[in-house]
Amino acid sequence: MHDTVMLEAKGRPTAAIVTSEFLLEAETQRDALGMTGLGAVVITHPLSSLTDEEIGRRIEQALPQIERVWLTGKAGGN
Amino acid sequence: MGKSDPIATPPQTDASQAPEGTDLIEWYYERGWSDGFPLVPPTPEKIAVAVAALGGEPGHLVSRVPPRWGSLTREVLAINMVMAGCRPEYAPVVEAAMLALCDARFNLNGVQATTHMASPLLVVNGPVRKRVGMNAGCNVFGSGNRANATIGRALRLVLLNVGGGWPGLLDKSTLGHPGKYTYCIAENEEASPFAPYHVEKGYRIEDSTVFVLAAEPPHSVTNHFANDAEGILDSICSAMSTICNNNAVSAGHCAVVLGPEHAVTVAKSRWKRHDIRHYLWAHSGNRWGDLYGNGRYGSVYNRNLPVWYKREPDARTPIVPSPDNIHLFVAGGEAGRFSAFIPGWGHMSAPVLRGVGDARPAGGPECSDGACAV
Amino acid sequence: MTAIPVYDPRGVVDAAPLTTAPRAKKLEGLRLGLLDNTKWNANKLLRGVRDRLAQKHAFGAVNYYRKESFSLSAAPGLLSEIAANNDVVLTAIGD
Repeated sequence: MHDTVMLEAKGRPTAAIVTSEFLLEAETQRDALGMTGLGAVVITHPLSSLTDEEIGRRIEQALPQIERVWLTGKAGGN
Repeated sequence: MGKSDPIATPPQTDASQAPEGTDLIEWYYERGWSDGFPLVPPTPEKIAVAVAALGGEPGHLVSRVPPRWGSLTREVLAINMVMAGCRPEYAPVVEAAMLALCDARFNLNGVQATTHMASPLLVVNGPVRKRVGMNAGCNVFGSGNRANATIGRALRLVLLNVGGGWPGLLDKSTLGHPGKYTYCIAENEEASPFAPYHVEKGYRIEDSTVFVLAAEPPHSVTNHFANDAEGILDSICSAMSTICNNNAVSAGHCAVVLGPEHAVTVAKSRWKRHDIRHYLWAHSGNRWGDLYGNGRYGSVYNRNLPVWYKREPDARTPIVPSPDNIHLFVAGGEAGRFSAFIPGWGHMSAPVLRGVGDARPAGGPECSDGACAV
Repeated sequence: MTAIPVYDPRGVVDAAPLTTAPRAKKLEGLRLGLLDNTKWNANKLLRGVRDRLAQKHAFGAVNYYRKESFSLSAAPGLLSEIAANNDVVLTAIGD
């Protein structure tokens, strides 16, 4: 989240993908860095152990959230 | 207040009040600030004495503690020290250790949040060990000594309360380990036939230092049959050469603790620190193929390991990338032929060695090449 | 009735507020940067998302970056380079 906050601070809309288990950490980091207005893209945990087909489903989950973060700042429907 | 709001910004380090007759042990448990053991209820007097021991100025910022980035002022540190059961004279060690943990190279943010079980191990060197009454001998990793127990506990309480590293919330460690209650020892410089760790790293013997490493629990190494350096060290090499310790797949740093009987045997072969670390590094390792199931799951590269490790099935993969990544200590009681291998977390965190008080490395006699007989 | 003083061990969180970047109005023509933190499957996720987004939007450029270490923050030079050469960024994976 640190990289994401820094990139936003440099003026680039940035969508950070986190798994559901790590959303709280991402929000904590973001708040601790002062950027409470930033939304994260959330996919169901885990990612590391998934098959390609399961990764495909996470891609579907992420796509609309990514566009919303870039265009509105919030992922919506987290 | 409470764990459900880890970013709560309580304005008070000033005291609030509880009604007369409150059971303070239970009151502090109910706030959700305990590591599981009872917290010592702080009093204004105990906090004032601890703040003075830290150098006064209660509002002085020691560091910010990730991943919550809470502000650790001297007063907040004093509160955690008192709650842990520290005596005020432990203050220089606790403060130095907190500064070491918050050094960027240690990556405390990562250590707090990882799913791996690593917890910071603290090793203390120099005269401060005796001044505060630490145990470096029998049962050094165990219980029974107030300084070892509460210095380590104070650090953990800060990591929980100021850092927000609560299990399940920001601390994602799958298993944890008992070192998450306290993990603090002193090197047994008196029983050691070698130079102390901090002297090997360039400090003077009269300096005191703290060393922190994100670490797994100690893995016991038993060896009752060898009467020379190679025999003892071969057993430690064996303990190191497992595919599942985190160094094997994530590189980084580890520690080796020689029990005094083993240390004396190694010294009788006239080996020094440099020889020990190089032998351990040269004669430990895993077969690359064994690390990933010998092709059963396809081929694995693993970008966490140095590019110069050969990714060939029969290639020997070092446990850590260099003998300097093995941090060697002598500790424990003088009876018993045991040592310990302590894996680290990996390249994601570097251990930090820091002087207590004003101590800085002297750049003095170099012991690491074995030339110094201290 | 003498109240007893009690103490909070947590310390405050001082965060100077930071505003987010102005949002993109549309994605066509923008340069897309992807930052891979090298955790397991981050690359597969990012490439899959990249390919789907690129089918839908005519990005001006698509640039792929990798962090040195998944655990540490990206080097400042890397972040500056990404910011200089891209208009929107996607990072993965926090897990």
